[in-house]
Amino acid sequence: MIRFKSVNKYYGDFHVLKDINLVINKGEVVVVIGPSGSGKSTMLRCINRLETISDGELTVNGVKVNDKNTNINELRRNIGMVFQHFNLYPHKTVLENITLAPTMVLKQSKEEAEKIAMYYLEKVGIPDKANSYPSQLSGGQQQRVAIARGLAMKPEIMLFDEPTSALDPEMIGEVLDVMKALAKEGMTMVVVTHEMGFAKEVADRIIFMDQGRILEEGKPADFYANPKEERARVFLSRILNH
Amino acid sequence: MDFAGALSADHLKFLADGFWVTLSIAFISILLSFIIGILLGTLRYAQIPVVSRVVAIYVETIRNMPLLLIIFFTFFALPEVGIKLTVTQAAITALTVFESAMLAEIVRGGLNSIDKGQIEAARSSGLTYIQTLWHIVMPQALRRMVPPIVSQFISLLKDTSLCVIIALPEFMHNAQIIYAQNVNYIIPIFILVAFMYFIVNYALSLVARRLESRQA
Ligand SMILES: Nc1ncnc2c1ncn2[C@@H]1O[C@H](COP(=O)(O)OP(=O)(O)O)[C@@H](O)[C@H]1O
Ligand SMILES: [Mg+2]
Repeated sequence: MIRFKSVNKYYGDFHVLKDINLVINKGEVVVVIGPSGSGKSTMLRCINRLETISDGELTVNGVKVNDKNTNINELRRNIGMVFQHFNLYPHKTVLENITLAPTMVLKQSKEEAEKIAMYYLEKVGIPDKANSYPSQLSGGQQQRVAIARGLAMKPEIMLFDEPTSALDPEMIGEVLDVMKALAKEGMTMVVVTHEMGFAKEVADRIIFMDQGRILEEGKPADFYANPKEERARVFLSRILNH
Repeated sequence: MDFAGALSADHLKFLADGFWVTLSIAFISILLSFIIGILLGTLRYAQIPVVSRVVAIYVETIRNMPLLLIIFFTFFALPEVGIKLTVTQAAITALTVFESAMLAEIVRGGLNSIDKGQIEAARSSGLTYIQTLWHIVMPQALRRMVPPIVSQFISLLKDTSLCVIIALPEFMHNAQIIYAQNVNYIIPIFILVAFMYFIVNYALSLVARRLESRQA
C-alpha cells in the first residue's frame, strides 16, 4: 500500500532520509520510533507529500507520490493525518472543523457531512462538543476531534505524528484508546510514538530510525525485549528510565 | 490673539468643509488601498515565482518613498505623460498608491501570522491551496488585520494634510486660508486644528486598542 524504494531526502546539504526502503501493507499498523531529529516526521510527511523526496521512489496504492502527473489532492483525501499539536481551525466549531474537507473535497452536502461528522464524534466519545470551539476543549478532546476530522474523509491510511506528546499525562490514555480501536478495525496506520503500551498492544511492526536511516525493524514483542542494534538498545533504555 | 474673529461661524463652516474633505478622501483612499493591499499582500505571501518578486519590489519601492514625492508625482509628473488628474483625483491616487503598499504589508503580516500547522492540516485533507487560503487563512488573518488597519487609517488622516501642497481643499488647506488673513488668527486656528485631529485620531486609536484586546 505504501512503498518506499531507496528514498533519499536532503535539506540543502543535510541528508535527512538515507536510503529508506519500506513496504507497509493494507491493514498494517506500523509504529516508528527513534531519537529526536532522526527523520521520523520527515519520513511520515513524505507519504502525503507535505515534504518532497530528493530521489528514489515512493508510491501509495501504486501511485507515485512525487510524480508531476499525480493529482496530489486526490491522493491526500485518502490519507488522513493527525499532528502533534492537533492543528484544529480555531475559528471554526468542532463540527465545522470536521465537515470542511468532506464538503469541499468530497462535495458532500452539509447535512450528509454533519451526519458523518456526528458519527465520528460519537466514536471518539465527544458528540456533546460538536458546537464548541477548539479553544474550549482540553488537549485530549482536541486531539480526538483531529482524529475524527481525519476519519470523516474515510481514508484508507491514517498517519499520526506524535499524537500524544503534547498532551498532559492524564489525557494520553483517551487518545490512545481511540487509536487502538481504529487499529483493531483494520485501519492502515503509520504512527510515530514512543508509547510502548500502544505499540505492544496493536502494532504489527516497529521501525527504529536513527540519523535518517531505518536501523531495525521487528515485531513489537521481540524488538522491545531484545533489540538487536546497540543504538536501539541505548535509545530504549533512555525512554524507559525516565 | 483673536479667538472670536478666528472662530467665527463662517470660518467654522469653512473648516468643517475642509475636515469633511479630509475624512472622505482618507476614507476612500483606505478603502481602495484595502482592496489593492489584499491583492498585493496575498500575491506576495503566496510566493508565486515571478509575481511575488515583482510585487515585493513594487511594495518596497513605494514604502521607501516620501508620500510627498508621490503626491507631486501624480499631480505634476503624470500630466507630462498625458494623464491629467483633478486635484481630488490626484490626491486619491497618490494616497492610494502609498497606502496600498502599507496595507499590502499589513495583509502579508496577517497571513503570515496564521500558524503553518493549520495550513498543513487543511492541505493534508485534500483542500487546494486556494481553498485553504480562503477558508482557513484569510478569515483568521482578516480579524488580526483590523487593528493595524485602523492605525494606518489614523496615519492616513494626518498624511492627507500633505495634499495641501496641491491645494486640495482639505482641513489644513482651509485652515491656512483663514490664518493667512490675520496673524491674530494663527494660534487660535492651530489650537482648533490640533484639537480636531487629536479628538478623531484618539477616538480611532481607542477603537483599535479595544479591537486588539478583544482578540488577545
Ligand atoms: N524544513 C527543514 N529544513 C531543514 N532541516 C530540517 C527541516 N525540517 C527538519 N529538518 C531537520 O531534519 C532532521 C529530521 O527532522 P524530523 O524528521 O523532524 O525528525 P524527528 O521527527 O525524528 O524528530 C532534524 O535534524 C531537523 O532539524
Ligand atoms: Mg518529529
